[in-house]
Amino acid sequence: MTREPILSAKDIEIEFTLRGKVLKAIRRCSIDLYEGETLAIVGESGSGKSVFTKSFMGMLDANGRITGGSIMYEGVDISKYKTEKEWLGIRGKKISMVMQDPMTSLNPLKKIGKQIQESIELNQGIHGEEAKRLAIDMMGRVGIIDPERRANQYPHEFSGGMRQRVVIAIACACKPHILICDEPTTALDVTIQAQILDLIRGLQRDLKMTVIYITHDLGVVANVADRVAVMYAGQIVEYGTAEEIFYYPWHPYTWALLSALPQLGVKGQPLPTIDGTPPNLFNEVKGDAFAPRNKQALAIDFEEEPPFFRVSDTHQAKTWYLDPRAPKVEHPAAILQLREKMKKGR
Amino acid sequence: MAVPEREKLIECKDVQITFGSGRKKFVAVDHVNIHIFKGETFSLVGESGSGKTTIGRAILRINPVSSGEIFFKGRRISGKIDKALDQEVIQKCQMIFQDPMASLNERAKVDYIVSEGLINFHLYKDEEDRQMKVEKALREVGLLPEFASRFPHEFSGGQRQRIGIARALIMEPEFVVADEPISALDVSIRAQVLNLLNNLKKSRGLTYLFIAHDLSVVRFISDRIGVIHKGRIVELAESEELFLHPLHPYTKALLSAVPIPDPQLEKNKKLLVYDPSIHDYSKDKPIWNEILPGHYVWGNEKEQDQYRKEIGL
Repeated sequence: MTREPILSAKDIEIEFTLRGKVLKAIRRCSIDLYEGETLAIVGESGSGKSVFTKSFMGMLDANGRITGGSIMYEGVDISKYKTEKEWLGIRGKKISMVMQDPMTSLNPLKKIGKQIQESIELNQGIHGEEAKRLAIDMMGRVGIIDPERRANQYPHEFSGGMRQRVVIAIACACKPHILICDEPTTALDVTIQAQILDLIRGLQRDLKMTVIYITHDLGVVANVADRVAVMYAGQIVEYGTAEEIFYYPWHPYTWALLSALPQLGVKGQPLPTIDGTPPNLFNEVKGDAFAPRNKQALAIDFEEEPPFFRVSDTHQAKTWYLDPRAPKVEHPAAILQLREKMKKGR
Repeated sequence: MAVPEREKLIECKDVQITFGSGRKKFVAVDHVNIHIFKGETFSLVGESGSGKTTIGRAILRINPVSSGEIFFKGRRISGKIDKALDQEVIQKCQMIFQDPMASLNERAKVDYIVSEGLINFHLYKDEEDRQMKVEKALREVGLLPEFASRFPHEFSGGQRQRIGIARALIMEPEFVVADEPISALDVSIRAQVLNLLNNLKKSRGLTYLFIAHDLSVVRFISDRIGVIHKGRIVELAESEELFLHPLHPYTKALLSAVPIPDPQLEKNKKLLVYDPSIHDYSKDKPIWNEILPGHYVWGNEKEQDQYRKEIGL
């Protein structure tokens, strides 16, 4: 890819202070984001995927701070921003966010229309009737039927899926450049989930947005993502195009994630599981963070942290398996199966 | 039925469940005719608000049925029953809840949480016997006996769900209602809990009613699946049969929405939307019909004909 990234995070480190102890939530994470693409970040809870993307908007909790690295956006290193005033130029205007739970991210005391209007007034400097008209227009765009009447209703009068549409309307009202969707469908039913994903895809095309999805559902990833980054214990361990990650993954953690999916399991046989727990990030992690849970770990995994190895122009993985000196390792059965199916489909 | 007569552990006949009364009456579940064989995993799938949990709760006698009957091992357990049978149902039918973060008493130690059922029914000889039973139940779900003296907040989501399962197991149930037991869990933990449920089914001969909204998980774990929409079971079949030959338009819509972890398939899939107004039930009344052995579908005469054509009968 010769395109210039629109947002480029380099070696980001984020620390939290909790009860006097320092927790390294993000350990040197880098990612490039390209115009118009959909990037999905996957990982289990606690892997730091939300924290990482929140740092793009200056939304870290008060006890957290960026201690290293840079985030270049439009020629400025936004990781050095200190004041709220600086962030307000980015947050909501350029980079916007859709939260996970539509039940809690709306104000229950305010009418829906007002809440969307608020976002427009704050970020675009349009006020009164004009802003109201834009808010209603936006509601129609996210597929709310009869927006004029619905704008005068309160959040409790909306179903979960409709509320998520409202949250998306608020996030997209200012036509942001980058939209971050943090588990946008986890709290929703499957049928509604598919509709919301379709809606975000449509808006992305119309408003020319770049979208980052944060999710742990690999089905959603397969549906939406152009590129996928897999996160584990505060680091990106593998990234590549969706096809590369699903059919030709290299990192043992990606293998484990895919193999543990019930959709790929064989009935009557136990699913391969990921035993153990993620490392405690209060302590220094030695070697490959996933090694203690990896049944096929190499000796060096416990000693030295692997660098990124290049698989293709778009695909890199942080595992010693790709070192030319490493012994040959078998890909797990579930992935070989997936690959077979893909080849047959072609 | 083709298979030799299997023992029906649970049977629901024309069950209707309503909430409220008079003008506010709301029919949550209607015309439910299902049976669950001993030793199988029967799944109920539907969106939120479709009444799947209500059916599970009705079988456990938490929600009363307003009409129809429910049988457990051939004995009626709905409506008024004598005390001995009531106690038996409470012991033999257990439930695993959705959210392990909300379903455990935060102020009680694991020891008490797990043994509460035993205490209620005095199912232990002495203190030593009780502790032994708790230890056994904890081991069975893959937890250490030392955990008994800890509080729920010291555990991760997966471990908490195991405590919930241990609590159900200690009563030595025959029938377990698992209400979305893995929806609130992380991907890596899901596989562990599913394996655990499957192993327990084999070793203990358990029967499950598995309630879920995610069809992809259900296919892996269940023997038969019932699809429920707005309080009505619209289709019921063996799980592979349902995935290969879905008949009812709602089942088709639900299947089309299932996310598949395969980018090629997923990006080319076509989403079907279910429109309930396609059914014209004004004259031709719908019935619950066994269209193939073991494959039931809800529809009127005209639709049944069309479904028959679809499967080439």
